[in-house]
Amino acid sequence: MACRHLAYRESDGETEFETARAYCTVADRFVQPMRADICTERYDLDPAADCEIYRDHAGLAWDDPPEADPASDDQPATDPAREGDGS
Amino acid sequence: MSYDDYLDGQPTILTAALTGGIQGKETHPELPETPAEIAAAAADCEAAGAGIVHLHARRDNGERAFSTERFQAVTDAVRAATDDVIVQHSTGGTAASDTLRAEPLRTDPPPEMASLDMGPLNRYDRLTTENTREMVAGLHDEMQERGIVPELEVFNNGHLNEALSILDRFDNPPYLNLVFGPGTLSPPSPRSLLTMVERLPDRVEFDVLGFSRHQLPLTTLSILLGGHARVGLEDNLYYREGEYATNDQLVARTARIAEELGRPPATAEQAREILGL
Repeated sequence: MACRHLAYRESDGETEFETARAYCTVADRFVQPMRADICTERYDLDPAADCEIYRDHAGLAWDDPPEADPASDDQPATDPAREGDGS
Repeated sequence: MSYDDYLDGQPTILTAALTGGIQGKETHPELPETPAEIAAAAADCEAAGAGIVHLHARRDNGERAFSTERFQAVTDAVRAATDDVIVQHSTGGTAASDTLRAEPLRTDPPPEMASLDMGPLNRYDRLTTENTREMVAGLHDEMQERGIVPELEVFNNGHLNEALSILDRFDNPPYLNLVFGPGTLSPPSPRSLLTMVERLPDRVEFDVLGFSRHQLPLTTLSILLGGHARVGLEDNLYYREGEYATNDQLVARTARIAEELGRPPATAEQAREILGL
């Protein structure tokens, strides 16, 4: 699974990359590699719990549990083929 | 390490932190991510005066990697491209499991040095890197088993308490990296650096890392105080306001300053002697 707002893109119209990189469709920008680990739900990270961008967009208060996300049953918009670390 | 070491003209160990684990090419188009890019940067930095290169590993798309396999690819490329530089692997990694955090120590050969975070710090708005004492001790044990010398990462004054509490585990001079920047890092100011240095026992060697525009003044002050300096794109993307830097530009600038101040850059061999590697 991955964040429903994650896309992998080679370009945002201004910057071009040889390899598609993590792009947040809410923030409308490429994200840092460390934040991409939240988007891809690696290391047990969860956008609904750990990403302030996701939570703000979903209207979650600071202390709302991830289950309070109104879109929690939605399927992800993209599946970046989650993989084990590194290879 | 003390002001007397400045007066004595002790060489300055320059560490080049080439990549880091947070930002990527989305932030700086020339930030090295692939093994080949990191190796080329390491070679340029060695030529510019770096005695140590601090390494992180990435996936092909720039995202973080902690596996031994990816670190092996990076460290092999760096060793092939450089002459004698000391290789230091990062064991940092917000959210990564304890097991993954140890994987960078398991390359063949092991790195001569590795970073060892001294305590928790916040990331973004909702993440904390815990770095529990048990995990830190576990990583330290594995470093000792593999003959890897740790660089103790002191992100704030509380972490200095943690570092000072384990100094009896070191036969050689403990090497502390004092970190200054925003958030849960030590406040970036000369007074803050002086306060930290005043607490260090004589047998400790230290280097200084300042984020962004604090890199130049605080590493320069470290040289005056008898310490060493870490520079590079992991910590600072700019040569001056609005102008992207390269890793070797940052190393070369600090090397010039160190030379002018009478503490020339240490060769890798001199760095090994200072740190007891």
